Amino acid sequence: MADPTTPATTNDPHGIRKDVDSPGQLFVVFATVLGLALVNVFLSQSIGPTKFTLPLQLAIGSVQAGLVGYYFMHLRQGDKVVILTALSSLFWMGILFVLFMGDYMTRHLVVSQ
Amino acid sequence: MSIAVPHGTPALATTSPVPPEPAPAPVNYLNVSHTIWSWLFTVDHKRIGLLYLGSISVFFIIGGIFAALVRMNLMSPNGAILTEDAYNRAFTAHGVMMLFFFLIPAVPGVMGNFFIPLMIGAKDLAFPKLNLASWYVFMIGAAFSGWAVLVGGIDTGWTLYPPYSSRSSQSNILPGVMGVFISGFSSIMTGLNIMVTIHKMRAPGMTWGRLPLFVWSLYGTSLIQLLATPVVAVTLLLLMVEKAAGIGIFDPTIGGDPILFQHMFWFYSHPAVYIMILPGMGVVSEILTCFSRKNIFGYHAVAWSSMGIAVVGFLLWAHHMFVAGISFYAALLFSLLSMLVAVPSAIKVFNWTATLYRGSITFHAPMILALGFLVLFVVGGLTGLFLATLGTDIHLHDTYFVVAHFHFVMVGGMVIAYMAGLHFWWPKMTGRMYSDWWSRVAAIIMIVGFFLTFVPQFIMGYHGAPRRYPNYPQEFQIYNVLSTAGSSVLGLGYLLPGIYLPLSLFFGKKATANPWSATGLEWITPSPPTVHNFDATPVVVCGPYEYAIGVDQMGRGLPEPPGPGGSDGPTGPSGPMKKETEVVG
Repeated sequence: MADPTTPATTNDPHGIRKDVDSPGQLFVVFATVLGLALVNVFLSQSIGPTKFTLPLQLAIGSVQAGLVGYYFMHLRQGDKVVILTALSSLFWMGILFVLFMGDYMTRHLVVSQ
Repeated sequence: MSIAVPHGTPALATTSPVPPEPAPAPVNYLNVSHTIWSWLFTVDHKRIGLLYLGSISVFFIIGGIFAALVRMNLMSPNGAILTEDAYNRAFTAHGVMMLFFFLIPAVPGVMGNFFIPLMIGAKDLAFPKLNLASWYVFMIGAAFSGWAVLVGGIDTGWTLYPPYSSRSSQSNILPGVMGVFISGFSSIMTGLNIMVTIHKMRAPGMTWGRLPLFVWSLYGTSLIQLLATPVVAVTLLLLMVEKAAGIGIFDPTIGGDPILFQHMFWFYSHPAVYIMILPGMGVVSEILTCFSRKNIFGYHAVAWSSMGIAVVGFLLWAHHMFVAGISFYAALLFSLLSMLVAVPSAIKVFNWTATLYRGSITFHAPMILALGFLVLFVVGGLTGLFLATLGTDIHLHDTYFVVAHFHFVMVGGMVIAYMAGLHFWWPKMTGRMYSDWWSRVAAIIMIVGFFLTFVPQFIMGYHGAPRRYPNYPQEFQIYNVLSTAGSSVLGLGYLLPGIYLPLSLFFGKKATANPWSATGLEWITPSPPTVHNFDATPVVVCGPYEYAIGVDQMGRGLPEPPGPGGSDGPTGPSGPMKKETEVVG
């Protein structure tokens, strides 16, 4: 358990200011992520499979992932290298999505004989 | 050409004195405590490496027994000993045990854990408790999967393709998949630990340009472990959800897409091949330079090619799916991208060959195995190009050609490299020398047995014999009999180290600190090492392979290397080599 008399900030040996999230903050973020999951489920049931459903749900999912990264994975306290690493992982995920969506989106194209 | 020895440093070159042999430590990591608890709760990276060694050896034996069952069954065109269903379960058990519980953890778990801190001059890995946790998580995963394959088995093949696995199969899918899912976390933990250790715990002077190539290869491996393993974890979780809850994800009859599984599965499982082979390449880089008494040729090229393989390895997974119904244009792209990985692989092979050129080569067991790796890996790699080519893959897909190619890379490459590493570092790990004669015999038997086992499979596969079938036409029997005969020779090759290595613990001659006259930091510690590795933090002043000037990474002279006849006498090249070599710093 953290000492309650300790201030909620500390400095590491490299001089980077580290804000420590309070349990209340973390709980609010957690509740928000769960709430967005419920919104997603509700939307999928209420509006059904329209052409907007998938982009909307992906957008909500992205916000959830962003919150998890920003708060729970401490990106908001990260230095530039950490931020760069996180962005690199997005780029890497982009490879996955672009290449396999490339398959799905070109299957209907017939090769002329 | 560069040498990183700073000006003003006391003469390192030809006159560097050979340091006295360090006295064997009265207390080392092996004898510091003898209780079972001291092993089960150890946070010493060396002991954890040995825990991995013991467990993966057991899984290797289990996987090997299933391989023997498969090969024996194929002696007869109608199946010699197994029913069709039992055959399916046997080859799946072989694949699951060998891939997930031997090949993936073998070098990172055993040699990575044991030697990364020693090679970079650290006293332990960055997270010792996480390291121990990784072994426990690995064992829990192995318990699930081991139970699944031993009690009833899995009949899907190690690739677990739905919808068969999720809808139809009545075998032990859920515990088997759960075991693989759990063991993936162990892989992530090990990768994270090694990566942080390399970043943060290098000794003074151990710059990135002075890292041993084994460390570079483990760095590339860790990158793949960290990035790719979560994807297969998600995939397997979704498979379990579909199987257990009937939610349509991969099964087309309930709204799923089986090709999606294959995309996600191979997005991990193709890079996983490089998790398996990259550490082996690192081992071979260490051995070839040591036993040819030459600086590695093209240090930076070999180091960066490890990173190149790690990155490019992510871009070519769908060559496993050319006949699965993917888009023609995607297949074309993946065929092209698959060719790319040949570039960094070839860079390594050319540089290893150039390292051997004009070297003073001695043929001890690690070197024989490393040379075997070189040949077998080249064959495995070149036949991979056949499979990466869209047109030929349609003919060769799902035939024994694929089986032979895969085993040339994984067994001829990785297992041989693992054996080479085990023989190279065994004196350091245990403080004992093994039988030089028997080890050479075993190395030769392994390589010959391997050729006999898998060359017939290339021929069979080229002629269209499909893999995973328990029955086959009469015309293929000769190849199957040859292959089974070869596998018994290969089995003998594996059995011999299982005898003489343990015997060496009791009857082997005591090993000196640096029995191979190698240059890395791990050789400056006594054999076996002390608990905290180094009495004082080593200061690195040289590149990792200064055989040309005959000094180790601390700039000290090297002891006499073992002679070409296997004796320990002064018959080998001593002192600096008068060779035209690249000096790396």
